[in-house]
Amino acid sequence: MGRAEPAAFVTRLGRSAFVAVILILCVTPFLLVFAISFGEKIEGAAWAWGFEFTNYKRFFVGADYPNTTSLLYLKFLWFSLYYAMFASILAVATSFPFVWLMTRQSRRAQTCWLVFFLASLTLSEVFVVMGWDILLSNRSGLPALFKEIGITTWLKESGWLDVLRTWGIASPRNVRFKPTEFATILTMSYLVWPYAVILLYPPLSKINNELIEAARTMGAGPVTVVRTIVLPMVRKPLVGTTLLLFVFLLGTYVTIAVFAAPDKSTLSISVYEAVRGATLNAPFGSAQAIILLITAAIILVLGRIAFLPDEGRR
Amino acid sequence: MSHAKSLNRRRFLKTTAMGIAAGSGLLATPALAKARSVKIGSYGGFFEDSFKASIFPEFEAAAGIKVQSVTQPDSSGWLLTMHQAIQAGSIPTDLSLHVPMSVIKGDRMGTVFENLDPQKIPNLGNVYSGFIQETDEGLKGAGAFSYYSSLVINTDEVDAPQSWAELWNVDLFEASLGFPSELASPLLDITAVVFFEGPEILKTREGIQTVVDKIGEMNPNIALWYSSTSQMEQSLKNNDVIGGMLYHDVAGLLAADGLPLASIFPKEGNPVDFNSWTLSRGSENVDEAHEFISFCCQSEVQALLSRSIGVAPVVDVASTDLTEDEISAVAGTPSFPMSYDILLSEETFIDEAFKRMRANI
Repeated sequence: MGRAEPAAFVTRLGRSAFVAVILILCVTPFLLVFAISFGEKIEGAAWAWGFEFTNYKRFFVGADYPNTTSLLYLKFLWFSLYYAMFASILAVATSFPFVWLMTRQSRRAQTCWLVFFLASLTLSEVFVVMGWDILLSNRSGLPALFKEIGITTWLKESGWLDVLRTWGIASPRNVRFKPTEFATILTMSYLVWPYAVILLYPPLSKINNELIEAARTMGAGPVTVVRTIVLPMVRKPLVGTTLLLFVFLLGTYVTIAVFAAPDKSTLSISVYEAVRGATLNAPFGSAQAIILLITAAIILVLGRIAFLPDEGRR
Repeated sequence: MSHAKSLNRRRFLKTTAMGIAAGSGLLATPALAKARSVKIGSYGGFFEDSFKASIFPEFEAAAGIKVQSVTQPDSSGWLLTMHQAIQAGSIPTDLSLHVPMSVIKGDRMGTVFENLDPQKIPNLGNVYSGFIQETDEGLKGAGAFSYYSSLVINTDEVDAPQSWAELWNVDLFEASLGFPSELASPLLDITAVVFFEGPEILKTREGIQTVVDKIGEMNPNIALWYSSTSQMEQSLKNNDVIGGMLYHDVAGLLAADGLPLASIFPKEGNPVDFNSWTLSRGSENVDEAHEFISFCCQSEVQALLSRSIGVAPVVDVASTDLTEDEISAVAGTPSFPMSYDILLSEETFIDEAFKRMRANI
């Protein structure tokens, strides 16, 4: 017993050191951002440490309050949530049938697909955006194709172009996909598609074929099988994946910068502009980042309570 | 602002260049203890490459001072980096390039810059006074080069406008134009000049709001608020935008590349902007830094800068040996200066008014 004590002490020391390193590496940057968010902007210069709630107030009512009230940053926050929500749902909804069919294939085919998706993760956001940029651009992408094969002329003559203009996906000359919500959400969901596949693969591959066969022998069609057997079994991973991708997408920067319309920009752009842009207003950037973080946390908790009630109670 | 942006211009390979710059900085240190040297910052990519290829070697040969090139990503971000580095006790460069706005800000921050000594810059007299940044306390920045932002238009798509005001035509330009996005976008100055008889109106909040509202009338036409020149170049090439505002010299390069792009000096004129050399606080190569600035203020070096980088001189163009074609590639008339001091006093208000206009809220 007496001899074991030094070993236990070393173990405990090691564990404390580990915890300390984690605290320093993970918590300190966060605390710094938190502390800076109370700093003070000096007009015409940079900022100084301080303790005031100006930056948080500005987020909700604007800098010129009470002369005018501005919901500008709430609008940015809304679009952050809006894009991330639709893109994550789209990614999960489209990858689910794919993964389901993939797990029903041979072991070898499954491995090939998985390796392919793991490899595609090495594509950075910049590359993905560049690719879609080319596909959707007026000169090199779909609009050029439309023009070439005469669809544009037909749209103009039939008046559909004006309808598309009111939908925001045409200019007076041709259809256009940049900047649009359509292109933004499409690219964002493409960005996280490999993650969706990799996250959904383990639970779906565990579903035993015998269950499916049993249901089929009792007369259930393929769709009924998926609806009544597969989906309920993977409800938790589906919700979990969606929430994870949603949080991941809240910070998207390049896609928004390239594809989102200026009046539908997000908080991540606004944070960057505040910190590194010409105003050098790091305190306001930090305050926006903290609010985005808190919003994400709230949505995660709400999501769990709403979709996974049994989990939420535990 | 276009200023901050100017820093961004042509920063292809930024990260790589920075890595290389950092690496070469380390490698270059163990030279002779007595060798004179100076660390000079410039915007990464084509810009810095040109400095390294044509300006620095000339200076090294003329002055016997070794130059270490340092990559700056931009001006406003670099100001922040400098501030943090100097607080931490390291001097990232002796000289840096900054837009006028950053020079004023850095000066007010009080931690980044050291005053320059005009006595040590014998050629400073060549530089137009508008490109010298001075306060009561001393010389803060010496003009390094100037540049023009012009109205650009794809002439295959529409006829070339003769006035900035034509860009407000929604029927012609809906979702078709690109403008720089940052705070002191020259757009404020342009709009004040075109519709409100000059920048005086920007001196009050009401005036600023009036001008921003006027820009808001053109907002439906703006498909791209760009934060770096390369974004605008790409969008013009892709035909995602058919015009807007771009650096005059860059527009010329694109046109030379075959893009049907005209760089126009409308009847109201184009804004002319500049960059200054600034001395870092705590620099240990003060004399060498001043020698470099003085070197750059010579007409021959200004001409060299125009030819290699496409910027306009800060000295009398007539004193250079630039040909008429070379001059029209980098400059033009009419033009008007930007009003930095006005923009700085209401920074947060302008920033938010501008963003609200862009966001339609």
